[in-house]
Amino acid sequence: MISLMVSFIACSSTVSDKQVLTLRLGAEPSMLNPILSTDSPSSSVNGYVFSGLLKVTPELDLEPDLAESYTISNNGLVYIFKLKQNIKWHDGEDFTAHDVKYTYDMILNPATNTVRRSDYIIDGKAIEFKVIDEYTLQIRMHKPFAPLLNRLTMGIIPQHIFEVTDINTAKENQVPIGTGPYKFKQWETSQFVLLEANEQYYDEAPQIKKIIMKIIPDNNTALISFEKEEILSSGIPGKDFKRIAENKLFNTYRYYDLAYTYLGLNCKHPLFSNKNVRKALAMSIDKRSIVEGILLGYGKPAHIPTSPEMWTYPKKPFFYDYNQKEALAILAQEGYVFDEESNVLSKDDKPVTFKIITNKGNKDRELAATLIQKNLKEIGINISIQLMEWSSFIAIVNEHVDPKQFDAVILGWSLGLDPDAYSLWHSREYPKGFNFVGYSNRDVDDYLVIGRKELDREERKMIYEKMYEEIAMDVPYIFLYYPESLVGLNKRVQGMSPAGPAGLLNPIENIYLIEK
Amino acid sequence: MIRYISKRLLALIPMLLGVTFIAFIIMKAAPGDPVGMFMDPSVNLEDINRIRSNLGFDKPIHIQYLMWLKNVLLGNFGYSLISGKPALQAILERFPATLLLSISSLCLILLITFPLGILCGYKKDTPIDDGITVFSFLGLSMPSFWLGLMLILLFSYQLNLFPTSGFMDPLLYGESFHKKAGNILYHMCLPLLTIIIGGIAGLTRYNRFGIIKILGQDYITAARARGVSESRILFKHAFKNILLPIITLLGLDLPGLISGSYIIEFIFSWPGMGQLAIQSVFQRDYPILMAVILFSSILIILGTLIADICYAYIDPRITKKG
Repeated sequence: MISLMVSFIACSSTVSDKQVLTLRLGAEPSMLNPILSTDSPSSSVNGYVFSGLLKVTPELDLEPDLAESYTISNNGLVYIFKLKQNIKWHDGEDFTAHDVKYTYDMILNPATNTVRRSDYIIDGKAIEFKVIDEYTLQIRMHKPFAPLLNRLTMGIIPQHIFEVTDINTAKENQVPIGTGPYKFKQWETSQFVLLEANEQYYDEAPQIKKIIMKIIPDNNTALISFEKEEILSSGIPGKDFKRIAENKLFNTYRYYDLAYTYLGLNCKHPLFSNKNVRKALAMSIDKRSIVEGILLGYGKPAHIPTSPEMWTYPKKPFFYDYNQKEALAILAQEGYVFDEESNVLSKDDKPVTFKIITNKGNKDRELAATLIQKNLKEIGINISIQLMEWSSFIAIVNEHVDPKQFDAVILGWSLGLDPDAYSLWHSREYPKGFNFVGYSNRDVDDYLVIGRKELDREERKMIYEKMYEEIAMDVPYIFLYYPESLVGLNKRVQGMSPAGPAGLLNPIENIYLIEK
Repeated sequence: MIRYISKRLLALIPMLLGVTFIAFIIMKAAPGDPVGMFMDPSVNLEDINRIRSNLGFDKPIHIQYLMWLKNVLLGNFGYSLISGKPALQAILERFPATLLLSISSLCLILLITFPLGILCGYKKDTPIDDGITVFSFLGLSMPSFWLGLMLILLFSYQLNLFPTSGFMDPLLYGESFHKKAGNILYHMCLPLLTIIIGGIAGLTRYNRFGIIKILGQDYITAARARGVSESRILFKHAFKNILLPIITLLGLDLPGLISGSYIIEFIFSWPGMGQLAIQSVFQRDYPILMAVILFSSILIILGTLIADICYAYIDPRITKKG
């Protein structure tokens, strides 16, 4: 038995190739096709294999990628993209403007099972993509549309591959051909995805020859794997962060995600239809204790619907202080009676109570619900918590009825790089749409509409700052916290960009490995 | 015998129709569907509804079932709604890893539990029996997700004997067969150990109980009275009779062999069926789920059939009575 073991170990040691970057994927990717997939493992792989017209810099700005340069007409309706020449697909074919047009045409084709289609439709009219010549592309729309530039980071897919198959079920979705810095080499189901440096890459050639992305679903296993140096990068749970940070083998990083977690209040519910009640509830919840208790301090209380990493984040966001006394005073003005003896808040002799629903399996949200329950108990409100399986939960939230069948939900949003949040806050997005809390504010509607049209960044920032303030004052959501990403990297990995939501290994071409 | 088997095989058809139909209805009755799960402010509900109708989810359930049935009879199990892969391929590519782990763990568990069970039963109520019982139950009562992690921490992290997880080193794909096989075995040790520790108790108890019952029977007493040696009694007279209940158990275990263990696969990143089946439930990946259900019901039915045939072989009285 021992000799058997020794021979196993001998086998494994041959694999420690020095020029291999091993990373982790938290789940099996769905499809390696950027226009079809929505899951983050797929995006991680696609990010290395495909490139878009534009790409995101570590500072969250945009710069040309497949494009050489672009111009925007004065009225903001026509974009002309000059493409880089001599770009090859990984199979050796030439990349041209036809591929770009094809990609966007496929997204706009109703038969394609992509959720990205309406990203390229403005008020019911599709954006037009037109090939001027092999390396020039024109994009035309009937209204200025600021979020478009960020949406042009979409990975471009090869026309010569997909025009002969059904894109929804094509086997090429498992063996992708792109133009990116890494070529797809191999994908073993539930095991790993192997990528190889693209020697013909049009930009600076990548330094690391091979990337192995191991599929490790369990977070604990992944952490041990990282500590054992089997993978070189991993997310770190808050409880282990300090220990890993003190380990000489690793560098650790923390930054705010483009995300926030919130308690959404159904504004059509009799209790929450009153803005002052919502305000009083917001003042009764101790966000700081939630951040300390759940995130172990790796995050901060949220007050507005954006992220501290976004360029639209104001210097001083509006917020209500945590003050249960004042909350009770506001509630008293609204006719609510707090009986100190029985510790019950009631109106017209009916005790105030409601139910929070959230998805099972998300420990942070489950804990947040418990802490909110405890906070509201202090002002005499008894709330119940129901944990639901994700699809059942979403079915209730997205049901097309008015009013919706829930009181309050705990959920989180991940944000795009563009501050546009029309689908979350515009009153037309209720009851069909993601404004499922039924929030309606004319001014916010206006800000959302002009924020989409305005192309000047400073102007936009002002518009969104005003909108955030309106929303924060109205409290359709009680914003809870901005979580931080905690990331560990093996010290062998070098050439990282500053920590931020665009990722440490961005651009991947700059990353190299050193010997210990 | 052939008539009996063909009769049983014919009965399989209405059973499968019933199972798949009920499964289909329950699956569709569960709230949500695969497209409804995108909760992303950049995704528009219009797109979700368009995809839903592209996939035919807006049709009545019985029509959807008939469409599925028609396609299956034509040999088309549909495409995964998540990965776009053919359902059959998605299942088949998980088979080798699942079978490897489940068959080897079953064989090892059988090899370990037979002697243990017989020893326990034979030495009933002695410290040996008590000791084995306590330890096997200890193994049974440790949750496998915890045990698996502890084994990884001890054998992989502290002692550095095994890799934490995975099936095979990605860079070995071009290598020779024996190198690959060795590497897979090396990766398999910890998951195998976790399954075995958890699985010993059950079969040991069955074997122990079987041997106690048999040793109490008249023909054993008669054999002892005739002066037959203890080892001959145990291995010649008693052994075959313990096999009967075990065969039933194994027959019922057959679908378990291909369904895999989700928890073990999840912790050890083992590319097996368990992960596929559970994910397809949560993602509402209907074609995959239906294919999994179809295969496991076929195996359950076949498993009991094979067990019945084995019975007849080991104990001829059963067919004579039937």
